This record gives sequence, structure tokens and C-alpha cells, in this order.
Amino acid sequence: MKTNMPLSRPIRKFINETEQLLDTDITLLRKPEAAPGGTLIDVYTYNLEKNIIIFPANYIGLLKDFVIAKQCTQLLIKGAAAEKSGYRVCSYDQDSVYKGMRQIYFDALKDEAKKDKKLPVKKLLEMLFMLFRQFHDDLNELPWNPIVNARVYYRMEQLRKTQLYILLKDGKQDMDEMSDMMEIIPRRYFVLDKSMFYARDLYLAKTLPADKLMPVVNIPQMKKFDHLEVKEMLTTRWTHTAWYQSKVFGDHMLEIMEKYLSVDWNKENSLDYYANLYETGVNMTNALMDYMTMKDWFIWEKTQHLLAAQEQAATYEQAALKKIFGDLIEDQV
Amino acid sequence: MPESETIRLQKRAEHYIRQTKYREALAVLDQAIKLDPKNAMSWYLRASAKIEMEKFAEAIADCEQALAINPNYADAWTKKALALYHLEQYIPALASSTRASTLNANDASAWYIRGICLEELGKSEEAEIAYAKSLELEIILDIKEEGKRIRK
Repeated sequence: MKTNMPLSRPIRKFINETEQLLDTDITLLRKPEAAPGGTLIDVYTYNLEKNIIIFPANYIGLLKDFVIAKQCTQLLIKGAAAEKSGYRVCSYDQDSVYKGMRQIYFDALKDEAKKDKKLPVKKLLEMLFMLFRQFHDDLNELPWNPIVNARVYYRMEQLRKTQLYILLKDGKQDMDEMSDMMEIIPRRYFVLDKSMFYARDLYLAKTLPADKLMPVVNIPQMKKFDHLEVKEMLTTRWTHTAWYQSKVFGDHMLEIMEKYLSVDWNKENSLDYYANLYETGVNMTNALMDYMTMKDWFIWEKTQHLLAAQEQAATYEQAALKKIFGDLIEDQV
Repeated sequence: MPESETIRLQKRAEHYIRQTKYREALAVLDQAIKLDPKNAMSWYLRASAKIEMEKFAEAIADCEQALAINPNYADAWTKKALALYHLEQYIPALASSTRASTLNANDASAWYIRGICLEELGKSEEAEIAYAKSLELEIILDIKEEGKRIRK
């Protein structure tokens, strides 16, 4: 470990254990412009000699420790997978991008038919790949979030208050994300996106356990569904709102999460344990993709595949648009 | 004239430290100290750069110079506590961080270092109180930063 910053004893121990288990080095880096949740740049994703955990410069105490604990857990999952069965991520190729964008387009058409104010064609075309990527990013991150948080909660007792603050902050941010686009994107995708975050927060509220994480208690748009009677829910205008639909889909996604995440969170650190967590995450991601009918949108591939796909993203997008719209596309783009 | 030149050099040094250019910061601070050895901030900044360069004993000496000029310089006490912590001198580090947090109760770093030292000394209950205070201050700071980010 290379750092000049003060670290609490359990965190120092955890970093050392991580380095020993994975036979690797971790460097801690403080940067003013770092993402609030920190960033992990790891040897299993990039061609590097050591792993780097970056966190915001204003995180000086337990907030920093929590980011490190979370990123080290993520690193252990990746490293154990690489060691045991091979580390793969959700990636995409030209064909899967086409399938995803085509489905989004069909759903957008259904929505547009009901709208008074139609979306300009150029915006509609831009939205297809933007939404595809949004779900790609979410599916590569979101399923790992409850896994990492549950593990940190059980193994790092002294970080629980810090964790609660970060989770509340993340929950609010994730729920606000896309809100300004609610009227633009097809309803289905707004609902699915919110449902995933709703299910994650609800799972964490039950697992950690922390009542304050309940979206119906804490998320302004969801509050109205707390204590609402079933009959009232089924018979009133609530059934037509995107937020209520997010709750309904989210409750189903919670069932998926609970089914797959029946894990002993308190076990000792070992490569086998983290490799098992990786398999759990992959299976849960697949189940969520299946539920959202996105299974043919993404493929499990090595990280190099994803990095190459990201470089080719614009080409894939253009090819998919051409395939969906044929020659019409040249008049619009 | 020397005072404004010292301030200019200190600002340059702070800029270098933010950019992790510690050697450059040291060179500028050497000049600032030569120009005005009675300026506590120059000593404090040099201690900060030296800690980043893992020159902990030298950093302590610089902090002591700053504190000889201004014994109520809370940030210098925090830096001294940090350097002592790195040398695993937990008892004097605890004393320095306690002094720092008494002078400036809103210094999250001072409370955090105090927590670590107490933990190392086996005083876990007291450590928990210090950590809680540090977290409270960090959260206030984080909410302010978040506000700035949103306004941008």
C-alpha cells in the first residue's frame, strides 16, 4: 500500500489483506475532481501494474475510509473472479447494440403515439443509444452495489453511520437522475431505471437494516405511496404515474435480489468467498436483464472487449441506426 | 514589500501542493522562509509538503517552528499530529490532535487523527466519540461541496 494519509486500523488491515489475497498493490489517491463514490482503476480492467483508488479531496476521515472499504471489496470480487473462473463484464457488440436500440425505438413509437407533444426526430434518434448506454452502465454497476454494501456493513462495523449517510445521498441522487427526462424517454425505461434503484434501496434497508433507506420514507416522489391502502392504489390515479409503476416493478426486482443474494455476509475473507460473490452478482444481473427483456442487448466478455466496444460506440450506433431506418437515416443525421 | 512577496510565494506553494508538485513547493517555501522567517504559515506549508514526501521528522521540526511563532496555530498542531502518527508516536500525536481540536473544534482531520490515535492506544470508546465528531464535520463539509457542485 502506498499512501501518506492517515487511516483507521481496520481499514489498514483490510487493505493489507486485500493486497495479500490478490498478490497486488493498492495506491490511494486524493483528487479534488474525483467522483463522490470514488473510482477504482484496477489491474483486472486496465493494463496497469497496480490498483488505484481515487476519492474526493474533501474526504479526509471516515468518508474516505468507507470509499476505500467499498472499492477494496469491489477489487476483491474482480480479483477473485480473475483468479478462479475468469473476470467478465457486461459488454456489447454491433449486433447487440442494434437489438437494444431497435427495442427502445419500438417502445418510443408506442409512447409517441400517446403524446401530444412529439419528440423531434433528431432527439429521438439520439435518445436510442443514450438509453442503451444508460442501462449498460447501470447493469454494470447497480447489481454490485448491494453486494458490496452488504459485505462492508457486516465486516466493517465502525463504518455503519458513514455508510448510512452515503447510501441516503446516493439513493436520492439515483432517484433524481433522469427525472428531467421523464417526459422525453419512453415511460417503460424511466420506470425500469427507477425500479432498479428502488429495489436496491429496499434490499439494503432490509439487509443492513436501516429504516431511513426505505424509498417510500425517504424519496420525495415515493413518499405518497407509504401507508397507501391497496384498494386505493388499485383504483385511483396512482396506478398511472411513473413513480407508482416504479414501485410495482421495483417490488418484483426486490424479489429477484432477495432470491439471488442469499449469502452469508459475515464470512472470513478468502478468494473462494469473493469468487462466489462474483458468480452471485453475474447471476443476479442476468436475472434482472431477463426481467427487463434486455438479455440480447448485452454479452459477458473480457474487460478488453468492453474497452474496445466503448471505442467503437459511435460506429455501432450509426450501424444500428442504418439497419433500423435504412436510407431514411441520412436525411435525419 | 517582503510581506506581499511572502504571500505570493505561499500561494504559489499551495498551488504546487494541490498539483502534488512537492519539490517545487519546497523550493518556493525555502525562499519564503528566507525572506520572512517569522511567518508561521510558511513553516506550516513546508511541513505539509514534507509530510507528502514522507519526511516526517523534518515536518515535525517545521511545525514546531510554526508553533513557536504562533502557539495557537490549530492547523500546525494538526499537521504535527499527522507527522507523529506516521512515526507511530501515538501518545504525542494524540496530545497534538487534542490541542488542535481544542483550538479549532471544526477541524475534521484533527478529530479523525485523535480517533486513530485513541484506537491505537486501545481506548476504543473515546475513539468512537472522536470518530463521530469527525464524521459529523465531514458530512457538513460534504453537503457544502455538494451544494457547490449543483450550483456549477
